Amino acid sequence: MKQIEELTTFYQNELYPILEDFEKKRKKLRTQLIFFFIIIIWNMATVYFFFFFGKENSFDILPFFIAGIFAIGSFLYKYIRRDYRSEFKEKVIKPLIKELYPNLNYSANLHISKDIFNRSLLFSPPDLYNGNDFILGLIDSTKIQFSDVHAQKEYEDSKGNKKYSTIFQGLFIVADFNKNFYGKTVVLPDVAQNTFGNMLGSWLQSKNMSRDELVKMDNYEFEKEFVVYSDDQIEARYILSPTFMEKILEYKKKSKEKLFISFVDNHLHLAIDYRKDLFEPTMFTSLLDDKVTHEYINTLHLAVSIVEELKLNQKLWSKR
Amino acid sequence: MSLTLIILAVLILILVLMYNSLVNKKNQVENIFASVDAQLKKRYDLIPNLIASVSKYMEHEKSLLESVTSLRTKATKPDISNTEKIDLDNKVTSALGSLMIAVEAYPDLKSNENIIHLQSSLNEVEEQIAASRRAYNQVVTDYNNAIEMIPTNFMAKAMNYKRKDVFVINEAQRENIDVKELFNK
Repeated sequence: MKQIEELTTFYQNELYPILEDFEKKRKKLRTQLIFFFIIIIWNMATVYFFFFFGKENSFDILPFFIAGIFAIGSFLYKYIRRDYRSEFKEKVIKPLIKELYPNLNYSANLHISKDIFNRSLLFSPPDLYNGNDFILGLIDSTKIQFSDVHAQKEYEDSKGNKKYSTIFQGLFIVADFNKNFYGKTVVLPDVAQNTFGNMLGSWLQSKNMSRDELVKMDNYEFEKEFVVYSDDQIEARYILSPTFMEKILEYKKKSKEKLFISFVDNHLHLAIDYRKDLFEPTMFTSLLDDKVTHEYINTLHLAVSIVEELKLNQKLWSKR
Repeated sequence: MSLTLIILAVLILILVLMYNSLVNKKNQVENIFASVDAQLKKRYDLIPNLIASVSKYMEHEKSLLESVTSLRTKATKPDISNTEKIDLDNKVTSALGSLMIAVEAYPDLKSNENIIHLQSSLNEVEEQIAASRRAYNQVVTDYNNAIEMIPTNFMAKAMNYKRKDVFVINEAQRENIDVKELFNK
């Protein structure tokens, strides 16, 4: 991580001119979008009034027209935005990452593989899986990779139509872990204990059939925030040492989002539940707003800081 | 008539479930203690090597080395009880802590490759001991809760189950952890 001053000069000298360029493009695209959208609505409205208005069932058909407007509108939005978006990633996000972390490589269209996502055991296997903004590299000799991930499950609604619901959307981080272990340990946000209270919640957790054994941790705050499942009671505590639990709590406070953590195959998997696509250019708000760039930097820093914060770079003898 | 039978059957079922859960908890304690024991043994196996490596240099620390050795001999005897094991483990931990502080005073020792290796191995084993101790404390707490809480406490009394001790981390040990941290840096 570079110093704040260096970063400010980089922002002012290099990034800002590019952003100004993109800001012009953005405004043009926005006008285009609004223009097209008005045309679509105009056409649809004309068709509706000309063919259907005043006839029988005219109200039943109205929702289809509105859905049609949204479908064409969102298709158009994606289409118009496509070049702008990929160019933005190439010219803004990529140099930004190179400047912040010279050791990391960025690729806009790749993502964490589905195999790794499934290996983490954090979520049920998705039917539809995609992502973008893949970042890979070494931080203090610890291998780390992360990307945006969107995992969805297929289901049928009451009318038998295929629909997709989101299992997870956010940042998915994988890093080498500094201790050797053989079992599988999963740390999830504690929903049951917060909803049903300690006694009943803990009992319900111990009856969770889809997970391994419940591991009760000896850190009160940690136990309140998270629930731990593992196939090895001792190893779970070997990984989650008292100091490590404190660090996870601090990290959670910093991220302000729900955390899903697992330790499988000598790797740490961390999913941060942002419920949105990250590192995207804005469309309807200014790119020159400091907040936008700050958000990119903060998200990046949060992902990379995991190595430092959780001390993954301090290797024990057996891992040297 | 059939109602009495049903009530009787339910009562017996409850008693069986209570009995089984208590036996389960007791076995869990024994099971985890076996793991603690295995980890402790790993550490005891490292001690002779450590003593042999440092004794050449540490002329002035003879009594400390002797006390570590004698503690190890006591702890590795086959016929000691669990409470004794816990007690001896506490003593060994604090003695080893003092030994590690003493090493700091010998520059030759501190930079010795063999010693550095032994220290890291000890650190690793100690982390594992700490983890298994915490696991043991948790199952013992579950067990103690079961034998003191209603309704299982009546059953436990009938089965003659007694409270078990947990590992106590005393103040001296807490300080030793700080020393360990120093070595890590």
